Amino acid sequence: MSVSAPAASTLFAELPEVRPSSFAQWRALTGRIVRTMATKGELVVAVLTPLVVTVAFYLPLRYVMKVQGIDYAQYVMPIVVLQTMAMTMMSNAQLAAFEALTGLSTRLQTMPIGSLVPLMSRICAGLVRSVVSLIATVGYGYLIGFRFTGGWLQALAFCGFALAVGIVLTLGADALGSLTKNPEALSQALTLPILIFGMMSTGFVPEASFPAWVRPFARNQPISQFAHTLSDMAAGHLSWAGTWVSLVWLGGLAILFLPLAVWASVRRS
Amino acid sequence: MPSSISVDSPAGGVASRGGEPAVLVSDVRKSFGDVHALQGISFQAEKASVLGILGPNGAGKTTTVKILSTLLRPDSGTAVVAGHDVLTDSAGVRRSIMMTGQYAALDENLSGRENLELFGRLMGLAKSAARKRADTLLEEFDLVSAGKRAVRNYSGGMRRRVDIACGLVVRPEVVFLDEPTTGLDPRSRQGVWDLVTALKNQGITVLLTTQYLEEADVLSDNIIVIDKGTVIAEGTADQLKARTGGSFCEIVPLDVSRIPATVQALGDLVPAAVAAEIDGADKLSIPAPEGAATLAEALRRLDNAGIDLADIALRRPSLDDVFLSITGHSGGH
Repeated sequence: MSVSAPAASTLFAELPEVRPSSFAQWRALTGRIVRTMATKGELVVAVLTPLVVTVAFYLPLRYVMKVQGIDYAQYVMPIVVLQTMAMTMMSNAQLAAFEALTGLSTRLQTMPIGSLVPLMSRICAGLVRSVVSLIATVGYGYLIGFRFTGGWLQALAFCGFALAVGIVLTLGADALGSLTKNPEALSQALTLPILIFGMMSTGFVPEASFPAWVRPFARNQPISQFAHTLSDMAAGHLSWAGTWVSLVWLGGLAILFLPLAVWASVRRS
Repeated sequence: MPSSISVDSPAGGVASRGGEPAVLVSDVRKSFGDVHALQGISFQAEKASVLGILGPNGAGKTTTVKILSTLLRPDSGTAVVAGHDVLTDSAGVRRSIMMTGQYAALDENLSGRENLELFGRLMGLAKSAARKRADTLLEEFDLVSAGKRAVRNYSGGMRRRVDIACGLVVRPEVVFLDEPTTGLDPRSRQGVWDLVTALKNQGITVLLTTQYLEEADVLSDNIIVIDKGTVIAEGTADQLKARTGGSFCEIVPLDVSRIPATVQALGDLVPAAVAAEIDGADKLSIPAPEGAATLAEALRRLDNAGIDLADIALRRPSLDDVFLSITGHSGGH
């Protein structure tokens, strides 16, 4: 393979007029991540993971729960949906860490690109992943008997709230990724909280199934609250009394994660 | 933030800027806590020239480049790139520069072609124009056959070429190459060198940081030597070499273990600083202020002492010698 330098006379011949716009840049940056997700099998994983989670919990637990008078398909789907949001969070943390590690983020900062555009594109690509995952998850839910019984408005609220949780988690993950620049360590570090908050939540099994000492945590931690809110929306029982704690949690996390993600992404070093 | 990038022909660019230097740095300071990375650095680069920035690790080269590429803000002083102040018009600076770091910053998952298209679109080309531009650059940089493979699987040389090509999707005014040939094989290095010359011939200013004195020597019109956050020497390679005062006489004994005996035999021809550093050396460099006469005298003394030589020669000072004489410590690492 020869290594030749370009001929000086032709290097910049016939260059067209350029008009950088933040919107076109956002589209290009988002498109590239989505395309990679589609071609490298990440979207397939995003579709298959919720299937595995659904099967893994529904099959062994449905009879146990039936004895307790719980329709487990209806009970478990909200936490499965939240689990898929955690997967998006994980993949976005990796993405941000990888881009910071390779220096791509730094390079984009030396280019005439709107300072929030790279962050926006990662979050939006994550949203695409979340939507695909959510559609698949709801599909699996319908196969095992999960139903939206509160009309299409509450069903939309269910999807909207789930995606909002996904976006807020993704913002936090993006900040962590940009700051640590270490994809491997990050995936290990995030596994633990995902396990703790997922398993020690009242989304998989009712509060009464936990030992007494852990019940206050299991009942009040945000994932349990989110799962309850989603459950209410699916059943059409959406009410202020059952929702405000979730909204406070979500709002609080957003107030924490949004500035952190912006700072981590636009800071120059 | 819609804005247009000037894509003037090189001649037009030169005319519109008159004699203004492409890069002007004056008394820039930057500290990180107690570490004073830059302590009042000043220099300038003329348009369409190559400025070599030379210095050991930690001298402040990378900090300088980061300030000029708007990645860091100076604590004080002014820096102007292509007519744009880095503090007050950083957007203007970003439209005029291209920067490549030591590590090729690309999207690893994309192919070379996709990376080129992406950067084209980021710099404001329409989709079809970006595709056409990618074709041109792949051809120019001899990457057509590798264009479809993911960058992840590229060799160091190919990666560096794509990296630089991505910075040339539109015409920059000033190009920053931060140690562009670190870790490249000689052939790829030659490719980067040819490219630097090609850019210069296009009227583009190139700032090249390097640890390789040879590289600065071959490519640069002007060289600044940075040490401990300030410019300690400035000039053409020849001017810098002249500062060390004349030639060197290089002596290689047939039996390298006899270097101490060689030093002994040469007596006052060997400066104390050189004599102190002979441990493990395989040759001896001594100043030859009298040129050939010094060489003849050295030969006579060694002959008398019965030391057989593999080689003895006069040579002009290298930038290594310059570095040693200016900083008191050797360059490189």
